[in-house]
Amino acid sequence: MRMDIRNLSFSYGSSKVLGNVTFSVRDGEFVGIMGPNGSGKTTLLRCMTRYLPADGGSIMVDARPLADMSPREVARVFAVVPQSSATDFPFKVEDIVMMGRIPHISSRLAGRAKKDSEAVHRAMERTNTLQFSDRPFTALSGGERQRVIIARALAQEPKVLLLDEPTVYLDVSGQFEVMDLIKRLNKEQSMTIIAVLHDINMAARYCDSIALLNQGRLEAYGPPNEVLTADAIQSVYGMDVSVRRDPFTHAVYVMRRPSSTSGRRHGTRVHVLCGGGTGGPLMRLLLDGGYSVSTGVLNVLDSDFENASDLRIPVLAEAPFAQISEGMHAENLRLVDESSVVVVAPFPVGPGNFRNLEAVEHALRSGKKVFLLAPPQGETIDFIGGKADEYIKRLISSGAIPVKDAQEMLDMISRQER
Amino acid sequence: MLTGDGLQARVRGGHRLAAWPRPLTIAVLGGVLFLSAFIALMVGTLGPIGPGEPEEISFSEAIDAIFTKAEYHWVFWNVRIPRVILAGLVGAALACSGTAMQAVFRNSMADPFVIGVSSGAAIGASVASLLGLSVAIGLFAPPMLAFVSAILAAFAVYMLGSVRGKVYVDSLLLSGVAVASFLGAMVSFMIYVASQQFHQLVFWLLGSLTLASWDIVEVLFFPIVAGAVVVFLYGRDLDALLLGEETAHNLGANPESLKKLMLFVAALMAAAAVAFVGVIGFVGLIIPHICRLIVGSNHRTLVPAATLSGAVFLIWADALARTVVAPTEMPVGIITAICGGPFFLYLLRRSSSGRGV
Repeated sequence: MRMDIRNLSFSYGSSKVLGNVTFSVRDGEFVGIMGPNGSGKTTLLRCMTRYLPADGGSIMVDARPLADMSPREVARVFAVVPQSSATDFPFKVEDIVMMGRIPHISSRLAGRAKKDSEAVHRAMERTNTLQFSDRPFTALSGGERQRVIIARALAQEPKVLLLDEPTVYLDVSGQFEVMDLIKRLNKEQSMTIIAVLHDINMAARYCDSIALLNQGRLEAYGPPNEVLTADAIQSVYGMDVSVRRDPFTHAVYVMRRPSSTSGRRHGTRVHVLCGGGTGGPLMRLLLDGGYSVSTGVLNVLDSDFENASDLRIPVLAEAPFAQISEGMHAENLRLVDESSVVVVAPFPVGPGNFRNLEAVEHALRSGKKVFLLAPPQGETIDFIGGKADEYIKRLISSGAIPVKDAQEMLDMISRQER
Repeated sequence: MLTGDGLQARVRGGHRLAAWPRPLTIAVLGGVLFLSAFIALMVGTLGPIGPGEPEEISFSEAIDAIFTKAEYHWVFWNVRIPRVILAGLVGAALACSGTAMQAVFRNSMADPFVIGVSSGAAIGASVASLLGLSVAIGLFAPPMLAFVSAILAAFAVYMLGSVRGKVYVDSLLLSGVAVASFLGAMVSFMIYVASQQFHQLVFWLLGSLTLASWDIVEVLFFPIVAGAVVVFLYGRDLDALLLGEETAHNLGANPESLKKLMLFVAALMAAAAVAFVGVIGFVGLIIPHICRLIVGSNHRTLVPAATLSGAVFLIWADALARTVVAPTEMPVGIITAICGGPFFLYLLRRSSSGRGV
């Protein structure tokens, strides 16, 4: 199966909802359709199923125009799983799945044939819904109901499964239940899938390709890591994000960047010494409090390095896993000199970054306020055999102020301001 | 016996779905219908033989009356049998029409009269009796006028409720209410004006099978049976429609033409039935409703089940109408409303925990 969508357009009255959308879908591909509300995602699906009449362009399925097909033929190409399916009428679950056979039963006089019952059984097996067979559809939970609707779609034996935000009304476990089922169908049955998805990270994780819509136009189409860039998301969703990799899947992972525009800026410069992710929340809190923040020395790839870059904070960085060099240390001391307060996160200290503690000592000597955040209960930050702990004790005795958490630190800095 | 699953279903869904196979359902209901018809033949006053006198006849007398030239043969063949058949036909027509309407409106509170059929028919019947058409033209003139005006009213509702050829069930429902109350006011006005024909008109408005004859059975038989068959043949599409128009489309049905066809057939069946026997309420509402509770919403089972049950119900209601106030009889519409109203309220209360089924 190969599907080509060419210049698909749709207008509702005089307003253009979809304009010249063009992309192709391979057999067995998992395509996510994304875009903000009102960008035309659902309209695109409806034009595919011909529920809405496209007013321009074409859809070819295996080189055959969709426009030439009868409604029943279209229903054998696409099966649709809507956002939710509620009905107050008492249907047995099996009746619901059997509806998927409607486009295959050629005569109104015919009863259910053996191959229909087999298709229904297979579909219910794959979706693990056989045990509900005789239950009323209305008695199922939201996730179970979506599984039954997916079973109905499978009983349709379609070439492409279309899903319109299939998890939007489900709780977290229901969401994964449904998405994992879809992914399994995609992998094991090589079912071609086109799904409107809301959750960017879910889409990045499950899809082979993403079609990013914006105001009815296809903004980008391709693999998630090419489509879901910070710039694309900024221009489509108007949202400031940082794009990272999921540690387990290496799928693109999008995080909202904290807004550093909390209004008042009061020039007070705070230098943060951190590492291993201990500095992220600190730096954000300081930015929100209106301080200018700098940090160093970190290693490229350290999560605090990513945090600082995302927060657009000046950061000193060494090559990955390298020791802090003489030159970088000097830079660090310069940043300490330029700031009025130095904050030390409970970062893990090893041979590579020991010089950051020396920078603290430098700060104390030049009369800067220094705050030391306590490590979480029962955790050590010393990875060089007691040398770091000893050094920190000395720092405290020479005037560094230990604080129990970031909030206390903020309070003390602002008190000192006044 | 309530099994664990069934109990759970009742707790969560408000009811349990019986797993009745379709052939068994239809066979049982067919048997019940036959039996009911036979019993109904035996009860009631015998009218033309001893005017106004109640007569009890036994089973063997009834058999004799039907198959031999016994004493009551003529009454049976010319009064009783057509009347029972007419009751069955009208009940079947209303129940089947109600089933289709409930599917089109996706609302189990819909009935054959939501699109103005009954008030339209009432206008026709009122005009006919006001002008004395049955005397001037013939006995079939008033029902024909009632039929035509019922179809016109339904068409008016349809036109008011659709935009650019598309049927929107919500606006259809509202225009049905508006047209019905407008026509209802006109009927009231005519009743007020036509004091002479008052009795006759009220009798029609209450619904009665008194005028049953073979002629009426002949006129109604084919359209009603054909209508029921059409609704049955579109059963799978109606199933899909109950899950929404988009779902119906995605399953290869054409919801627009399906709605139009069903509205047309249902209006035709209801109008034909009402034109001859008057407004018999509740049958088209409660019979599909009860059948749905028992056999589920699968229309391939529901349509025959409701059609047969409607026939059974109206045969019994008419038998009751002929006996409760013997030697005279009560309009059957009063019986259906008296039985139907409270029973319907009971169902409503019972299922309010399981959301409006």
